[in-house]
Amino acid sequence: MSYYDIDSILTDAQKLPCTFELEVPGLGILEGNPGEDIKAGTRIDLPLWLGEMLSIGARLGTSRLVTLDMPDALSERVMNALKADPRTLDLRALAPHFYNLSERILELFEEEEMVDVLSDAFKKRAAEIADHAHNSRGTVGGGVDFLRGLDETERQLFRAAHDRAKDMRIWSGEAKRK
Amino acid sequence: MAFPLPRGITASEIAFLAEMETVTIVPRQRLEGLELLGGPVEPLVPPRRASLPLWLALLLKRQRRANIIPPTWLHPEPLALILEFESQHQDYKNAFSPPPPCPFTPDGNRYYVAPPFLPQNTAQTVTSSRDPPSLPFHWVEVGNMLLEVASDDLVDPDQIRRLLKDLREVRMAKMRSGVDVLDAAATGGGGVALTGVGSMELGEERGFITGVVDGLRKIGSSKEQARREQMAEQRANGGYDGTQDNDEEEDYMEF
Amino acid sequence: MDIDDILASVDHGPGASSESAALDHQLLTRFWVAERAVSEVLPWPAPLMERIMDRVRIQIETIEDLAASSESALPTTANTHNPNLNLRLSILQTDLSRTQYIVRSLLRARLAKITKHSMHYLVLLASRNKNPLASQTQSTASSQNPNQQPEDSVPDISALTDVSPLSEPESTFLHAHQTLLAGHYAGSFMGAFPRQLRRLDDNAGGTSMIQGPELKEVVFVRCLGAEVPVVVGGEDEEGDETGVTMRMGDVWVVRWEGVKGAWGRGEVELL
Repeated sequence: MSYYDIDSILTDAQKLPCTFELEVPGLGILEGNPGEDIKAGTRIDLPLWLGEMLSIGARLGTSRLVTLDMPDALSERVMNALKADPRTLDLRALAPHFYNLSERILELFEEEEMVDVLSDAFKKRAAEIADHAHNSRGTVGGGVDFLRGLDETERQLFRAAHDRAKDMRIWSGEAKRK
Repeated sequence: MAFPLPRGITASEIAFLAEMETVTIVPRQRLEGLELLGGPVEPLVPPRRASLPLWLALLLKRQRRANIIPPTWLHPEPLALILEFESQHQDYKNAFSPPPPCPFTPDGNRYYVAPPFLPQNTAQTVTSSRDPPSLPFHWVEVGNMLLEVASDDLVDPDQIRRLLKDLREVRMAKMRSGVDVLDAAATGGGGVALTGVGSMELGEERGFITGVVDGLRKIGSSKEQARREQMAEQRANGGYDGTQDNDEEEDYMEF
Repeated sequence: MDIDDILASVDHGPGASSESAALDHQLLTRFWVAERAVSEVLPWPAPLMERIMDRVRIQIETIEDLAASSESALPTTANTHNPNLNLRLSILQTDLSRTQYIVRSLLRARLAKITKHSMHYLVLLASRNKNPLASQTQSTASSQNPNQQPEDSVPDISALTDVSPLSEPESTFLHAHQTLLAGHYAGSFMGAFPRQLRRLDDNAGGTSMIQGPELKEVVFVRCLGAEVPVVVGGEDEEGDETGVTMRMGDVWVVRWEGVKGAWGRGEVELL
């Protein structure tokens, strides 16, 4: 987590499912019931920063307040789809900061296989991004949908690849005009 | 913002760097020697050949004060050979053709000269070299600039232009097919070799490659961290089970 | 060991021969490319930069003298007397502008990093403060001072003699910049915060406000030594574990932390 990084802050605000293990008096505000208590077993989506904070009780040795679950964006269904063909997924719809979220989740859960699935998906999609970024004539057909489904990390990758290629074309073009 | 440019030199700065390459010219007029900040320039006495930095050679060429003798590699035959090598050779399907050999002597002198300050773009005498032809580090830039300003000094410039374009395409395809192996650069102590790559090619792919590697590093950071802790544990050689006991906890303690 | 040692090993003294001009030019060019390629501020090569700036000053005088001589001559005779005068002038001026470009781009790249990571570099420099009392009084003052202001988190580095990796003017700039910035924050919004929230070096909540450069980012290097291993974990001396080995003439994508030491020894160059 980086203090001044807007993407990092937005990632911190992404929701993940939390289940309360204990009854908490007066915390009903999280459910939209100010003044009420929160019952044990209640399941609420909480922002990453809050869920993470409430779940550390377990590690401190006291009983934990909440248990965390995998967010839908990283569910087994999504992992299977990524394994089948990562290029068809709309990652942005799953989570605007899909990879940043994964990075944070992987710090909380030990999921070695998920690291491999995500790395592989990231590479396959990156190759596709490079193709689109270098295509000066713009994208056609399915390309538009693919680019729309890029998460924030991938968008920045597209921009980096595109700007450099453009920089190069401007240089060689200018050299011809002179 | 003090400096809005991205990290790594830009295309025009790469060309600026390539202009420091040394080329061979035949002066068409006399000029006394000069002491430049980049080093001394020898007196020009036609028709004696002289070696100059490319920017100065281009300046003289534009004013018709000199002709540039094309670099040894910038001829149709060597380029065709390199293109064939790049596209046909089995061992180089996913690698660039080898760069010009390194002239360094590894011991004694502690300063190693490297491009653009090696004579990779001078016109060597015909008998000077039996090495197979190779592309210098600044091949895209030097080729482009000479085609631009001194095409009348080149042998069959149209053919050269076509060959350079084909070479760029073959090599760019190799560069991009390399995404799959970039994992190797994403872990500590790892790396991916790009030997033979040109300066402009590197500049064009820099943002993409660093973006992919940094993305892979972040996805794999939990795994790398776990591996490190495991190794530290092995080093400590004790029975202490510290895997769950990481920094996060301490950080939150300050709350 | 740093770049100064390499410079010292090739420096032929203040004689400023034309041979050392060419060498200094190569070193400056290489350093400029390196500074543009990495996320952190590289150690300021003071002796090299002094020699370069001396030569720039002399070259400017030479050009002025030459220009003056061309103006004093009669316009009709100028061309016949020395037909190459204008050509020589334009070559000298182009050469000068090229060097000036490199120096300016180098300084701006450094300023960009210094301002981006200002607190990081201030804290880094202040940690070298030999007087233990100075840092102590500051930290105790920070927790008790009822009039805590953002400016109070700017460490005092005025007494420092070693400001590496910065140059003297850069360290002065850094302190002045951060003081102004903290004052601006105080005046525009931070002054209205509770006093314990007015610091710029807080790390409550597990997130430090001090952001340093990312040394794990990858760079492109050419191996200049015979064989250079990539170090695992960089700064972390423990174990001194190494990974892949690069050979002379190779170009690699590697983590900066893995080759930083080799760069300092002149065994790799950044591309």
